[in-house]
Amino acid sequence: MKSDRILRYLAPILLFILLPLFLQGNQYYLHIFIICGINVILASSLRAITTTGQVSLGHGGFMCIGAYTSAVLTMKFGFPVYGAFFMGGLVAIAVAAAIAYPITRVKTVYFAMLTLFLGIVIMLIALEWRDMTGGSYGILDIPPLGTISIPGLFTIDFSTKFPHCYFILFLALLILLFLYRIERSYLGMTLKSIAQDEFLAASIGTNVANFKAIIFCVGCFCAGLAGSFYAHYNSVLTPGTFDIFSSIYIIVHVIVGGGKKFSGAIIGALVLTVVPEIFRVVKEFQPFVFVGVLFLVIFFLPEGLAGLPERVRAEIKRISKGRAQNNA
Amino acid sequence: MDALLQSIVNGFVIGWIYVLVALGLTIVFSIMRIVQFAHGEIYMLGAFIVYYLSVVLGINVFIAFVIAAIVLGLVGIALERFFFRRFRGQVESSIIVAVGLILLLQTIVVVSFGSQDKWIPSVVTEIITVGNIRLPWERASAVLIGIILTLALFLFIQKTKSGQAMVAVAQDLEGAALQGINVDRISALSMAIGCALAAVAGALMGAIFTVSPSMGGFAMANGIAVIILGGLGSVAGAVIGGLILGFIAGIVPLYASTHVASIVGFVLIILILIIRPRGLLGRD
Repeated sequence: MKSDRILRYLAPILLFILLPLFLQGNQYYLHIFIICGINVILASSLRAITTTGQVSLGHGGFMCIGAYTSAVLTMKFGFPVYGAFFMGGLVAIAVAAAIAYPITRVKTVYFAMLTLFLGIVIMLIALEWRDMTGGSYGILDIPPLGTISIPGLFTIDFSTKFPHCYFILFLALLILLFLYRIERSYLGMTLKSIAQDEFLAASIGTNVANFKAIIFCVGCFCAGLAGSFYAHYNSVLTPGTFDIFSSIYIIVHVIVGGGKKFSGAIIGALVLTVVPEIFRVVKEFQPFVFVGVLFLVIFFLPEGLAGLPERVRAEIKRISKGRAQNNA
Repeated sequence: MDALLQSIVNGFVIGWIYVLVALGLTIVFSIMRIVQFAHGEIYMLGAFIVYYLSVVLGINVFIAFVIAAIVLGLVGIALERFFFRRFRGQVESSIIVAVGLILLLQTIVVVSFGSQDKWIPSVVTEIITVGNIRLPWERASAVLIGIILTLALFLFIQKTKSGQAMVAVAQDLEGAALQGINVDRISALSMAIGCALAAVAGALMGAIFTVSPSMGGFAMANGIAVIILGGLGSVAGAVIGGLILGFIAGIVPLYASTHVASIVGFVLIILILIIRPRGLLGRD
């Protein structure tokens, strides 16, 4: 049983470690690999927030904060790239912490709306604070991640897409491990109890607002780091990238994948990033593919894509049972 | 001073259009318990239908408005039946359905009309001038239509049996169903009214400014802002919230840019929600 479980986690990780080697020849495939990594971080960190039953519609805003912080600090204040990279996450968590207490006290629908407006405000500030962000023209020529070298062993030079694949893979695995540990810890249990019944959780002495605020900050920190990476990878930032829909797509990834399971957000982000790309040939009709996946899942798989194997297993059982009854 | 008065007048015009968008959203929310994110796309479709009928087919603009409202009212009934009915009260699932609809409708419009901005030419070009304040008839009629539709909706809710049934469903769905009210019919009615109002609002905005496939997103955000500000499910709150946001959108650009106006509006709403989570006139 134990080895079976290890295999179940290690096999996909190994697959993703080997995948860039096969995709190496095609820049476009490598790009999609990297975007998948970013989306997985965003979706998984948003899913962590939703474990308390709160839906944030402003997650893209925190990615925006991370991206602009990292870009501005390296370009205007001469920060070293990796320092700025980390600062992206820290500023995102600082903003999240500043507003977490008031906004985690309101009810679900209002929380969704508050975070939606927050995302819009952050985007508009990026658009309006021209001295820092360059307004709608954005920031150009953001320096790439610096060369990592351990003398005598290896040097990694981030001038091509290939090393970026491993950087985002490493970052994503680190964040997933972190979120997974939280999920399986005392903190994770408490968060689930809040989602099930807020008042009951409060009645046994859980500081509900406090826990909601903590996980909100954690999620936003991860989004900030994803943003930092995006800034240095893409080397161009424009506020339009972080519009309302950037946030809404992240929650779509979570729900389509299946928010109840840890793997749900990962599966949702991967499927909804890769599948529309496969159908790139249909050009302007491409959104229909995305819409098709959305409607199929929401109408036929209420548990999300992550619930598909169980659903299939249950169906097979039902059919074989029916057959057994017919035979009897 | 004149500039300020002029901005207030402009804000009043934009405000009434926001009110029309928000009324639909708030009715749908109070009956179906979902925030209909695709509302902005209905608004965009309204503008495009009026554009198509009046510019491409050459039909009278006022008749085009009526046709757009009726067509999108029917679209609303279809959306309720096939998309939103089964997700009544489910916030997360309804977001997914709405995102699907947003992409679907936007893509259809981009594929059939292209993504460039379009203009609906003015029918009446006279301008009302009081002192130094100028108000084009086009904008004045937008306010007039807004006020008439709001009053009509108010009377409909207060005076008709269907309107009172809507109030009953909004207050207590099960209680209303036990009294023999057909909840599904009322849901369809609320979507029909909401979509028809959005269509008119979009067409009015399209006539004053421009028509583009991406005009729905901002309208949706503003509509939601209005109903949150006024209180979810409150018709009077939608009117007050819409006018407040309209004034902000009209006055702040005098001193700063339009983006700053949006920032001020949204920050104001965030603050009000934190202090008073149910909005200005909302019941808990």
